[in-house]
Amino acid sequence: MAVFDSPQEAFGILRPVCIQLTKTQTVENVERLQSKLHVVSDSALQDLQEYVLFPLRFALKTPGTKRESLVQSIVECITFVLSTTCIKKQDLLQELFSELCLCLSSPNSQQSAPVSEELKLAVVQGLHTLMHSAYGDIILSLYQPCTLPHLGFAISLLLTLAEQEKSKQIKTSALKCLQVLLLQCDCQDHPKLLDDIETKQLGDLLASFLPGISTALTRIITGDFKQGHVIIISALKVFYKTVGFIMADEQLARIPKDKEKPSVEHRIAELMVHRDANWVKNTGDKLAALIEKIVEFVSVHPHWKARMELIELVQDLLMKCRQSLLKSVGHLLKVLVGLVNDENPDVQCRCNNVLKNFADQRIVVESRALTDILSENLHSLATALPRLMSSQDDQGKYSTLLLLLGYLKLLGPKVNFVLHSVAHLHRLSKALIQVLELDVTDVKIVEERRWGPDGLAESSSSLSEPPLFKSKSQRKYFRFFTDERIFLLLREICRMLGYYGDLYLLVDHFTELYNESVIYRKQAAMILNELIAGAAGIEVEVLHETNSRASAEELKEIITSILEEYISQKNWYLVTSNEAEGNREELTMKHSDLQTITSGVHTCHLVPLPSSSELSPIVCSMNSNIWQICIQLEGIGCFAHALGIEFRLLLMSALYPVLEKAGDKTLLISQVATGTMVDICHACAYDSPRDLINHNADYLVNEISLNLHQMSLSSHTPIVLEIMFQNSDAGLLPLVEDVIQDVLFSLDQFHDERAASFLSVLRTVLAALARWFPEAKDDKQLQEQNFRKEKYDLHQGSATLGKGFAFTTPAEEIEQFLLDYLRNKDVADGNVSDADNEEEQPLPPETEMNDVCPDVEASLPVQTQIAKDVMERCIHLLSDKDLKTRLKVLDVLELCVTVLQSHENQLLPMVHRAWLPLVHRLTNDDPLAVLRAFKVLCTLGNKCGDFLRNRFCKDILPKLAVSLATQAPVSARAGPVYSHTLAFKLQLAVLQGLGSLCKKLDLGGGDLNKVADACLIYLSAKQPMKLQEAARSVFLHLMKVDPDTTWFILNELHCPLLYEPPHPSLHPVSLSGMAKPRTEYTDNVLLLLAELQG
Amino acid sequence: MCRRLSLDVEKFQECTRLAVCQSLLFLPGRCSWISLPVMALAPPSPQFVLRGSQSAVNTLHFSCRSKAHSPPLLFSGSLGGLIHVWNLETRRVDTTLDGHAGQSVYWVKTLEGQHLLLSQGRDLKLCLWDLAEGRNAPVDSLSLDSVGFCKGSVLTEGTQGCWLLAVPGKDMDEVQVLDMPSKTSVCTLKPEAGAKVGMPMCLELWKPASSSGPLLLAGYEDGSVILWDVSERSVLSRLACHEEPVMSLDFDSGRARGVSGSSEKVLCVWSLDEQQNLKVCRTQELTNPGIADVAIRPDGKILATAGWDHRIRLFGWKQLKPLAVLDYHSAAVHCVAFSDPGRPGEQLLAGGSKDQRISVWSVYNQT
Repeated sequence: MAVFDSPQEAFGILRPVCIQLTKTQTVENVERLQSKLHVVSDSALQDLQEYVLFPLRFALKTPGTKRESLVQSIVECITFVLSTTCIKKQDLLQELFSELCLCLSSPNSQQSAPVSEELKLAVVQGLHTLMHSAYGDIILSLYQPCTLPHLGFAISLLLTLAEQEKSKQIKTSALKCLQVLLLQCDCQDHPKLLDDIETKQLGDLLASFLPGISTALTRIITGDFKQGHVIIISALKVFYKTVGFIMADEQLARIPKDKEKPSVEHRIAELMVHRDANWVKNTGDKLAALIEKIVEFVSVHPHWKARMELIELVQDLLMKCRQSLLKSVGHLLKVLVGLVNDENPDVQCRCNNVLKNFADQRIVVESRALTDILSENLHSLATALPRLMSSQDDQGKYSTLLLLLGYLKLLGPKVNFVLHSVAHLHRLSKALIQVLELDVTDVKIVEERRWGPDGLAESSSSLSEPPLFKSKSQRKYFRFFTDERIFLLLREICRMLGYYGDLYLLVDHFTELYNESVIYRKQAAMILNELIAGAAGIEVEVLHETNSRASAEELKEIITSILEEYISQKNWYLVTSNEAEGNREELTMKHSDLQTITSGVHTCHLVPLPSSSELSPIVCSMNSNIWQICIQLEGIGCFAHALGIEFRLLLMSALYPVLEKAGDKTLLISQVATGTMVDICHACAYDSPRDLINHNADYLVNEISLNLHQMSLSSHTPIVLEIMFQNSDAGLLPLVEDVIQDVLFSLDQFHDERAASFLSVLRTVLAALARWFPEAKDDKQLQEQNFRKEKYDLHQGSATLGKGFAFTTPAEEIEQFLLDYLRNKDVADGNVSDADNEEEQPLPPETEMNDVCPDVEASLPVQTQIAKDVMERCIHLLSDKDLKTRLKVLDVLELCVTVLQSHENQLLPMVHRAWLPLVHRLTNDDPLAVLRAFKVLCTLGNKCGDFLRNRFCKDILPKLAVSLATQAPVSARAGPVYSHTLAFKLQLAVLQGLGSLCKKLDLGGGDLNKVADACLIYLSAKQPMKLQEAARSVFLHLMKVDPDTTWFILNELHCPLLYEPPHPSLHPVSLSGMAKPRTEYTDNVLLLLAELQG
Repeated sequence: MCRRLSLDVEKFQECTRLAVCQSLLFLPGRCSWISLPVMALAPPSPQFVLRGSQSAVNTLHFSCRSKAHSPPLLFSGSLGGLIHVWNLETRRVDTTLDGHAGQSVYWVKTLEGQHLLLSQGRDLKLCLWDLAEGRNAPVDSLSLDSVGFCKGSVLTEGTQGCWLLAVPGKDMDEVQVLDMPSKTSVCTLKPEAGAKVGMPMCLELWKPASSSGPLLLAGYEDGSVILWDVSERSVLSRLACHEEPVMSLDFDSGRARGVSGSSEKVLCVWSLDEQQNLKVCRTQELTNPGIADVAIRPDGKILATAGWDHRIRLFGWKQLKPLAVLDYHSAAVHCVAFSDPGRPGEQLLAGGSKDQRISVWSVYNQT
């Protein structure tokens, strides 16, 4: 389509249609005009603007009723013209403005005329375009006191449309138009900003409408949920733009006290308001009510965009009018505080930014009034908190606590204003304590026990697992909520308090509560832990940086004092199980702890739990005590993180109690304590708990030794000592030397009551010694082995001789054999030749030297001295009346022997003294003890060798042989269940040990025969397989000691071969086992003989 | 007696200790011998114990009063010839000083804060250490002529860096006073020929506020205490207060009263009047004989004794009222020391024993 650029051409085209329209006012003519307009260029149209508008306006102004469609098309046409041109004359603007407005009004009523929606829309859009087409300052002519009525009319018109129309489109356009009308348009077409005076004048003018606009908008906003978020968003925008403009602090500050003389007629002047302080206050009050409504409504609006817009509202109003809207600030801040953890991430983010922005500008901190408002809010929230916590559901609690957190964040360091008021602090702390009340009805926690030896080393040797304080391993159950998020929120609240608050004050207060009653103790400890974490800035998201935080030195001081409280006698040693461990000290301890129990009972009665009415209060209080300890342990881990490497100094008091708990019988406690140790390792840069213990053994030793001196308190000391030994190396020995002496001293004094626990300590000690000083053992064994090997080779040699006898050239060998025999006989008789002596001479000096050294008592290594001292006690305790003790003693004894093995001069006298009680254990004691004692005997045989030979043969062998013989028929007959009996185990152990024992003790002919006799029966196929195997092993050993005899014994039983004498002059060989049919022994004998030959 | 002592006092102590142990058997158990006014509930236990000296502890010296940021220290000299510097904050050895060739160290003392350290050992040497900036080698040493066990004594003069040192001299009954660090002999104090006091056993140099010259209190082998005027080189007073050698003495110049302990059962308190005369004002009988060391707390309230009977005893210094028996060690206690007065409530007492442990106590701090 051609475009007519020059006004002349355009005029040529437009003139006919305009004339036509002027003459006959029909929709068709308007449309014709409009279609022509399309082909006219903008600049041409600008020149012809008034000319084109004339017929249209004329049509509108023609008196008499007009068809709506006509009006609508006229308005649309005007809108089109205005959209491409601009108005440069004030009159035109004003006239058009009023003409458009009039389209929707019935001349005789205030109500808008009942016209079609299309028309309304067209008019609103027309107005919108009109406002935008005003050129430069022209627009301001609309905002003169004299035009006030017009303006008022338009505004109320638009508000009515926005409020009462059904169509969403009309509503939104009306609101948009209103926004433009109030000169708050946010589009880019308004290049010129108003200067200050103009702004003020405009403000003065619009102030008249403020009540109307704000109430109407509030009605719109808080109207139907279903009207959609778009309208709410637009309405909110208009609201805050308007209020923010009229109530802007900046403007109000410049308002003179006295009203200016009105330059307009009286009637209009009456409409004008003067924004003096009084007006501001009144308006502020009224607006506060409206804002409260809006905030309440929109902050829970389901659509996130609405909530987002609300944040904009808050931001705008708080930035511009926090003085004039003082009363609303509380509500406005509440929005931010509440939305800061909104479920929509965008809202959350925006809210956070706004808050950060405020914080950065230090708006809250530096404004006393705001602080007051916030603290007031916080106070009322704290007051309501206990009630809300018990009445709301989890979601409600969550949002309430979010609010609390938000206030704290916003107040920042100013939170101290609140905390310094006793009433406030009390409210807050009571609320927190109440919410954090734990549910202590779970019986399982009390019942779960830790069994077996300490798993500390393996459970936490790797530090790869995250530190405890990050992933709380054990979930806590609370009385008043179940949602884990709430707990996390509460933690964050406490941390925030610790971060900003006066730490001394808070810690003092909560420590007081901690000590005040058992009911508060757990919660107070939890809060204290988090306060410290917060103060150290662990995982705290902050809005304000604060410089009033506690210094490292102060923090250390505070932590030290809390730690002292935690590990004090009355708070650390609580009753957690009703297992009487059977010793008197424990009982007396129980007695002293009765108070704790009774107060625990008190708790349970105070807060009766419907579900646990049948639970015994004791269980309740024990559960509570367990949690108490766990929380305190967690606290210690938390403190370690707070102080970092500095915590190392506190280890001298903290490590021992933690280790004590790591060895606790209650599963939960020991788990948490282990976790605490991992925490400490992380914080103090130790590689593993083992490393931690190893590096701090001196502190532990100190505590242990002091505790051993005060026997009544030390029921846990043995556990710690044990753990320490398991996790340390030989470097520990000089430190613990005196402690071991202390243990022995205590053992001497209290062997009735405490023998069990001390013996386990001694066992650990000696096991550690055996582990730390193995080299001596190796030497000796190596030597022994060499020696045995030589001997064995000798026997082997003679055995091969014996075997070769039948097949190879006999004469020389027989000769050699006889010569050897004679010489040996000579040696045995003492006729030793010089030549023989010379060979052995190099040996004596060596042995002499060896002999000299051990004679000097002082030069005994520490470990030897300890082992000797311990063995001394074992000798006494071997005949203890308690079986368990005897068993433990036997274990310890065995270890003593192992440690002492390289010091024969010490070992043998001790063995001599231990022999008699040991024989008693072996011969007439419980089978369990016999079993254990036999193990000891094997070890003894291993280490002492021939020193024991005679004793063994005299005291033990006969009885062993007898018992083996009597037991054999029983086992031969027994069924499969027999292998689970103690008797079987005993038989097995004896048979398994006997062989090597014989070898080590180097038993001679007759005794070997006894052993062989006793074991022969077990070669029977009737015996259980395991016993047969064990019996074969005995014979295998016997073969090594004396192959010939063994060969003979076996052949006596069953002989597979016939031996032809090589020469007829020799007697034929006759063995009783020859030519026997297959018997129950045959298989085993054949196996053994094959072994012997092969 | 003189011969035996000068031969080997350690052996002698050992003998006496055996006697003590026998006398222990007649005691009614290991309980305290007086009712304890403060700690009647439980026997007091040490605040902590320092382990790791690896041989008997002969002497202790606190050094807590120093510039900020340096931790309180405790110096200990051991039979094995090592000096351990214990950090009382970490309760661990900071440094180990080895300068006496493995010979027993029986006196350590700091000068001018924590940095200069004097140590006296059985290798007949007195070493001066400079410990600043972590150094650990002796900077100077002085050969001694006496083989006895007499600890030296130091008096810091007004002028910077100058101090008097009293040590046993070349002759058996002689005390030598030196000006340090120049090592020039000021005088030699030798009793009259007929006095027969034996070897000096313990020395205490001090300077009374009134008098001009420094005075020296010396305990002798015959059980007497002599007050010397160092500048006049004359005996001002002699007091025979013990039957046995004086093992240790301490003097409270504020009250002009001193206390001495010997190998017998008696603790003797004597005072010094205006005429510079020593006279006995009180004696205190103990359960077991043998006092290795005595120390008066710097605030003049408490007296502590180190007993061969393994115990440390505490007395009120004013009335000599028995306060407590600290029963921790398992062998003779060789030395006791009080910390310099720091903040109230933080005055420590340390006892070093033959059992190689050092016990540190915080007692009677409330007063």
